[in-house]
Amino acid sequence: MSVGVESVLQKIESNPRFMNNVTFRHTIPAEPGVYEPIPDFLPVKLQELLRRKGIEALYSHQAAALHEVRDGKDIVVVTPTASGKTLCYNLPVITTLLANEEARALYLFPTKALAQDQVAELMVWSDELGGKIKTYTYDGDTPGDARIAIRSAGSIVVTNPDMLHSGILPHHTKWMRLFENLKYVVIDELHIYRGVFGSHVANVLRRLERICKFYGASPQFICTSATIANPQEHGEALLGRSVTVIDKNGAPRGQKDIMFYNPPVVNKPLGIRRSSLLEAEAVAHELIAAKIPTIVFTRSRLNTEVLVTYLRKSFQKLGEPHETIRAYRGGYLPKQRREIERDLRAGKVLGVVSTNALELGIDIGTLQAAVLTGYPGTIASTWQQLGRAGRTDQPSLAVLVANSSPLNQFIIQNPSYFIDKGAEYARINPNNLYILVSHLKCAAFELPFAVGENFGEVDPAEILDYLADQMILRKVEDRWYWMSENYPAVDVSLRSASTENFAIIDTTDGKTRVIGEIDRFSAPMLVHEGAIYIHESAQYHIDKLDWDRQKAYAREVDVDYYTDANLDVELKVLDVFEHEELPQVKRNWGEVMVVAKTHMYKKIKFYTHENIGWGNISLPEQELHTTAYWFSVPKEKVENLDRGALQSALVGASHLLGNIASLELMCEPSDLGVTAQIRSPFTGDPTVYIYEKYPGGVGFSEQLFEAHGRLLWRALSIIKKCPCPSGCPSCVGPVEEVGVEGKTHTSWFLKGVLEHGSNQQTEEILTPTE
Amino acid sequence: MDLTSKLRRFLPPQNNSDTDSRQTACDLDSLLHGQEVDTPFGPCYVIEETWPLAKRHGHWTLREVIETEYRSLDLYGHPCDNFDLHRALFLDTETTGLAGGTGTYAFLVGLGFFTPSHFVVKQLLMRDYNEELALLYLLDQEIQTKDTIISFNGKTFDLPLLQTRFTISRLGLAGTREKRHVDLLHMARRLWKQKLQSCSLTSLETHILGVKRVGDIPGYEIPGRYFEFLQTRDGTLLQDIVKHNVIDIVSMSTLLYRLQTTAELPPEECDCSYEAEAIAHLSFHSRKPRLALKYLEAAAQLSSDDEQYLRISRNAAAILKRLGQYERALPIWKRILEIAPDDLSTAEELAKYYEHRTKDLTSAEQITRRALAVAWQSRSPKTSALEHRLRRLERKTHARTAP
Repeated sequence: MSVGVESVLQKIESNPRFMNNVTFRHTIPAEPGVYEPIPDFLPVKLQELLRRKGIEALYSHQAAALHEVRDGKDIVVVTPTASGKTLCYNLPVITTLLANEEARALYLFPTKALAQDQVAELMVWSDELGGKIKTYTYDGDTPGDARIAIRSAGSIVVTNPDMLHSGILPHHTKWMRLFENLKYVVIDELHIYRGVFGSHVANVLRRLERICKFYGASPQFICTSATIANPQEHGEALLGRSVTVIDKNGAPRGQKDIMFYNPPVVNKPLGIRRSSLLEAEAVAHELIAAKIPTIVFTRSRLNTEVLVTYLRKSFQKLGEPHETIRAYRGGYLPKQRREIERDLRAGKVLGVVSTNALELGIDIGTLQAAVLTGYPGTIASTWQQLGRAGRTDQPSLAVLVANSSPLNQFIIQNPSYFIDKGAEYARINPNNLYILVSHLKCAAFELPFAVGENFGEVDPAEILDYLADQMILRKVEDRWYWMSENYPAVDVSLRSASTENFAIIDTTDGKTRVIGEIDRFSAPMLVHEGAIYIHESAQYHIDKLDWDRQKAYAREVDVDYYTDANLDVELKVLDVFEHEELPQVKRNWGEVMVVAKTHMYKKIKFYTHENIGWGNISLPEQELHTTAYWFSVPKEKVENLDRGALQSALVGASHLLGNIASLELMCEPSDLGVTAQIRSPFTGDPTVYIYEKYPGGVGFSEQLFEAHGRLLWRALSIIKKCPCPSGCPSCVGPVEEVGVEGKTHTSWFLKGVLEHGSNQQTEEILTPTE
Repeated sequence: MDLTSKLRRFLPPQNNSDTDSRQTACDLDSLLHGQEVDTPFGPCYVIEETWPLAKRHGHWTLREVIETEYRSLDLYGHPCDNFDLHRALFLDTETTGLAGGTGTYAFLVGLGFFTPSHFVVKQLLMRDYNEELALLYLLDQEIQTKDTIISFNGKTFDLPLLQTRFTISRLGLAGTREKRHVDLLHMARRLWKQKLQSCSLTSLETHILGVKRVGDIPGYEIPGRYFEFLQTRDGTLLQDIVKHNVIDIVSMSTLLYRLQTTAELPPEECDCSYEAEAIAHLSFHSRKPRLALKYLEAAAQLSSDDEQYLRISRNAAAILKRLGQYERALPIWKRILEIAPDDLSTAEELAKYYEHRTKDLTSAEQITRRALAVAWQSRSPKTSALEHRLRRLERKTHARTAP
């Protein structure tokens, strides 16, 4: 039946239309597995069960995990997708639970779907072991009467951090049995907990630790993570304790071919390429037609639907049944998923289209090819999605289809960044003042704080005193008590970066559907009334912006212009935390106040760039108190650039650095704002600022301060490699913003900043890419 | 920038009146008439008020309350064997919030119990958070001298909240854990949910108990008032709360009395159609269908509301049918159809009766035809069942008339 990946590869290679768009190829050779015997200290029942399941030996990392946990260590297992990570925590947990019926374990998964998947598997295990281990999911969908049983009888409670935060910890007395007997906390997909979300979760874990201590428990932590650059540091920052990292993968793997595919440019002035969705469909079609079981990842649920429809239509024409292509959603129950898996194995299903939510550990078996619609945003996610195809010993193929965004274009043009670097750093800042204070409130609600008590590494006394001044807490003798009618956890959402995102609603043809979201800070720029908003290569006219309800109503249009709003950003430096002064550049990070106001927008015609009209925008001024990284160049160093050229260089550098920074930080480009001042009132010199859009910042600025040289060098290399003549959205920004010499000015400026830097450092940066 | 000034900028002070931090530390004893009581866990404040049994609260005296035998409460679905009011403790808490969770405190716990000569309301007050342990200690002592807790909505609110407080206190006290609990709200709802829009204690006081509160503090103001007291130590802020809590406790006692006496009220002495109807319902569920019928008859006589009258009649007919007393059900069904010709269920009952009981096919057919006309007009989901019935009746009639 299946033609096999090799022959499909040959076919693809002989297709010039396809190969012309392939910018990069990479083959990862097959590797054999490294095995260890099943340790004797596992209960005999469990050893027998493993053997019944065909597991005669463990992968080396699984065995290592077992030994470290047995030695009392808190561990982080970092191995690729499909390397049997669940055994790393299930084996020690089940071992303990079999020996002690009262023992409890808490599993945290980032999504409900993952939690349910896990429970389904654990229940099978439990049945085979005599049914004594009771596993339950506890989430928003758990019915009231089931909750009571879970609280007292659940040996393994599977939930998500949000539920722990708002449903379990504030009611810890109801969970006394769990906390008194808690032996393990399992955290899967540790790398998801970064940025704002991670900073919140770190604080939820501080609260968990506090409650455990109250009930006299000191659980061990077992975590798993996709590949990130700093698992040790990240694990320790998140858990607030030292961890042992296990990162030697013992699972075998088949040969994997990776291709980067860049769709052809269709709109030169805007640098827009042919839709990645359509190109991905073409690629997937090729693979499925050759009977290769294929998974296609999209970046939204909507795209999943669209792609399923397209693929079904084209296969129906070929006489294939409807079911050949299936959507695969996070909300599917384990039963439905098992069904899809069964049909995949039987060859009834050949194509599975999924949102990237499923890159997270759900196992769907026998896939041989993966097609990624757009760069998933981080190297870690990309590897996870690429890893979805190809089981232990079969060859597999993965194609990354890029879109027009700068991030995608950077990756596609700098494959070595992707291949060599391995993965990003995961960063959190649990001590972001907003986040910390929110969780100190929740913690004080849960149990009064005693004088001298720490919260993680923080001595919270000063903040608690402040809250007492605000009459949110009350200090009596040596304790701070919660003194408010409110239930603080409901006011704290762990996930939203800016709590107030605007929804963009497509009202074309009288329907209403949300096509995107935009943060409050960017809304005046991009979705003001009259704006042309571009989404998935289609143009939308914003008919109405309902500021109070945070909704923008859009209608699909086909016009020959785009809009450009003037954002006046005033940025005031409030405090400098760190700075370095070199002859050619001064770099800093610290606290800033950003005030932004949009007054007007221009309509600009495609190709001619004529200004064909303008409009007023009257929206409220916005204030943001946050942290920023900035660098300035002494004005005498740029004397030979006239004002126009300097302006063009600053605009170009801002555009570029904003995108590179998000790459460096593993965050969304919209998490950051960039602004430049020709003569900064603070430094007196031309200055570029990159600020965080989350109030108070989550540590990105400090990271950028450290990455300074690397950042600028990458920016420069993008300019060099971008095939456009004088500037495009994939590099320094569109010509009409930076001018015809934008590329030249920008690179001259950046070179100036780098030139006298530590040569050694520059060389280091130079070597991998050049 | 130091942390506090940073906090001031990041989390600007809510402009609530923190200017008003006057320390009017006044003498609580003269305002609340209580006293400090020492415990192994420090002091807490106890207010004790004794009510002579002759004292009237609304319609009844406390003597009437204590001299009644509480043997009929199981009508309301609460098993109350061996219930002895002398061994029961009325309990009501005032808390720092309604949201629940571990950060909500019971700062005032009101207890009520009978002694041979008096009704005693004893209130335990924590004058600040550090007196919570002492409060819980004293509370536990009181609870352990009794076998039953009586509350109003304690099942979902007061008792779980106190259990949470006991757990967090780590004093190892049992609290209410092993006590029988009677929740008057649940009983009151069974009796008055048709009669009253709200079964809140205030509503019951107004409509049932004859208690009028003057200058009562609304419940939602209580947490704020207590927080203000903590800041200012101004005892007058607590006076209203303490009074409010006392009335809650005493009203619970007369509410209990009213529930008991109503449960034993003979049908002919009922003076409220809704109560009679509710007792009928409860009697039926206690497997006393004949008694239920008597109450329904009383309710029907008292009723001045057509909708209620129809409901009572339908229930009565249904019970009679179950008892096999068709001859008594028949006039009721007929009566219902006179008042409500569009009542298809009753028409069906009647048609069934004629078809299967008296074999009067003509009457059955006539009733079914009329009902079907209504059903067609109102596009009722019963239409097809009625059509089916009519066809069958026609067949039967045909078979009978055919030679």
